[in-house]
Amino acid sequence: MKRRQFFKTAGGTTLLASTGMMNRTSAFPALLMDFYALGGEANLSKVEARYYKKHPDREIECTLCPRLCKLGDKERGYCGVRENIGGKYYTLVYGKACSIAADPIEKKPLFHYLPKSSALSIATAGCNVNCKFCQNWEISQVRPEQVQNYDLLPRAVVETAQKYRCPIIAYTYTEPVIFFEYMYDTSVEARKKGVRNVVITGGHISPEPMEDLTKVVDAIKVDLKAFSQDFYTKYVRGELQPVLEAIKIVHKSSAWLELVYLVIPTLNDSSDEIRKMCQWIMKEIGPDVPLHFSRFVPMYLMKNLPPTPVSTLEKVHKIALDEGIHHVYIGNVPGHSAESTYCPNCKNNVIERKGYSIGKIALKGGRCKYCNNPIPGIWI
Amino acid sequence: MASKVVLIRGKGVLKEGGDIDQKKLLNMYNRGIQILMDKQNPKDGLRLIFQRSDKVGIKINTIGGRKLSSRPEVSFSLAGLLQESGIQQKNIIIWDRTNRELREAGYGLNLNRSGIKVYGTDTKGVGYDSQLTSHLNIGSLFSSIQSSKITASISLAILKDHGMAGVTAGMKNYFGAIHNPNKYHDFNCNPFVAELFETKLIKRKHKLTILDSLIVQYHRGPSYHARWAEKYEALIFSLDPVAVDHVGWQVIEKLRAKKGLASLKEEKRAPVYLKTAEKMGLGKANPEEIQIIEEEV
Ligand code: SF4
Repeated sequence: MKRRQFFKTAGGTTLLASTGMMNRTSAFPALLMDFYALGGEANLSKVEARYYKKHPDREIECTLCPRLCKLGDKERGYCGVRENIGGKYYTLVYGKACSIAADPIEKKPLFHYLPKSSALSIATAGCNVNCKFCQNWEISQVRPEQVQNYDLLPRAVVETAQKYRCPIIAYTYTEPVIFFEYMYDTSVEARKKGVRNVVITGGHISPEPMEDLTKVVDAIKVDLKAFSQDFYTKYVRGELQPVLEAIKIVHKSSAWLELVYLVIPTLNDSSDEIRKMCQWIMKEIGPDVPLHFSRFVPMYLMKNLPPTPVSTLEKVHKIALDEGIHHVYIGNVPGHSAESTYCPNCKNNVIERKGYSIGKIALKGGRCKYCNNPIPGIWI
Repeated sequence: MASKVVLIRGKGVLKEGGDIDQKKLLNMYNRGIQILMDKQNPKDGLRLIFQRSDKVGIKINTIGGRKLSSRPEVSFSLAGLLQESGIQQKNIIIWDRTNRELREAGYGLNLNRSGIKVYGTDTKGVGYDSQLTSHLNIGSLFSSIQSSKITASISLAILKDHGMAGVTAGMKNYFGAIHNPNKYHDFNCNPFVAELFETKLIKRKHKLTILDSLIVQYHRGPSYHARWAEKYEALIFSLDPVAVDHVGWQVIEKLRAKKGLASLKEEKRAPVYLKTAEKMGLGKANPEEIQIIEEEV
């Protein structure tokens, strides 16, 4: 595919360039080895990383995420996109996007953030966890030299967003934490031009970079993958507590926050676990943070389980509402009534959704048109 | 029955200035295979391991650069012996992850139809499989060299201390045969090293481990640090992939003790994956069940 080639795909996405993200027909198009000539070099960056400590004997410790990888010379961190070269730590993916598309903001999903907007969505290869149910493993669970990378420095990302009339840039698809420097600098550049920034993350990040990030982006959607460390250990290969801390940091900041919980049959769908999570949400971040329960479909290393029954999604949806969360959604079930936004006061439908299309919006100045109750979110 | 591990020392195989004494190296190989296979003639020994029709992959480890990688002299000597035993030259591949690392370790690449082939997985037209191999905690794409270009495999590994695994030797060398080794360094690489080895694509093809212990990095590995790199001048052979790594571990521990360093166990990074491998039936990790034969040539 030529760079910046555009075409429409299902789901409202306009694909600019991807090495596998959207093209599900090919088993592993990300490994475009014809990118290499014999003896050719991979298209990687060598930009010094932020958030790391230098140790004796050319060793370093990365402090960007809770893994705190300690690495000798020539070694890479767990995420596979950062390398110790002679005792200095570098990001290999700065300005190296492997997927670029224009998506509806609803696809992220961010439901209380500029509905109907288009977000220029970018990703680089790599991830700092390894979820067995990853939807995008072809680009997230690989090293950057195993995908085709497009040179797109921060300014070029912003120009692309403007050119294609995207008021938002979304850092998404893989795990933006691992391309932190690229995301951060692009966000700064975007703000200068009036383009907004949203981050779609698993929240597996250290507190300091998360705080720094919230100062330059406008909205953050965190995937809370379960509410038990056991699940995080077995199926995510990460830690729950730092994710909860990150959520609290975002909530305290000026960035808009939404949460997504992928409901996986038998593994994280018990009423008890869902209730505990909702109680934690109520206590720590309050009832106004939207919570999306998403339907699982079998993929990557988790093909032995069926898709989540709609009845299970409805069960957890009810638990969350019963616990007092105001805006609870069901995702990946197009046409379900719980895709829409309801006023928590008068219960009227204030934003009608069907898949990624938006119907009627009954909001006036961020308030319910019917009862004038404020609906939390960023609406303009 | 005890697993046999043969440790051949070759004092002087690394000459002053770093060159290799080729004759001595060949003697080390010959003697190692003679003892390992109980055959007067090493060619006959290799014939017990490989079939003439085999396509043999020699998986080397070149991540450590020129100072700490299997040098061309070491891998080509082995390839020469394979040829003498009847394997066709064109059916021998010396390989690793990337061409860059191979070149940095001093290899010239060769993709020609004839001759011993040398190339990395990132060569155009080679690459990784398109289908995931999934086994226990492993979910990886294999290098197509391991999955489809070879029928038998030798792990010719550098013996090194490893900050996370404790020891990197013959089994862990196969981390270089998959696309995502960085995902398997948690918990001292346990159980990942053992589980990766147990995948069909490795277990069924792996025939022989040789630990290139000419230089042993006994501390601060896997990168090269001259201060903790010992000129050990040995090759260690075994058909048991676990036993040979266990012996390699003991070599590292002895060197560490000699230099007054804490043991890997004390540093909480003993290679516990060896016990896991033993439990999985991949080989012996109990010293009482390992017969070590040591000889100087
Ligand atoms: S960002 Fe990457 S290198 Fe840094 S600690 Fe996390 S996984 Fe390790």
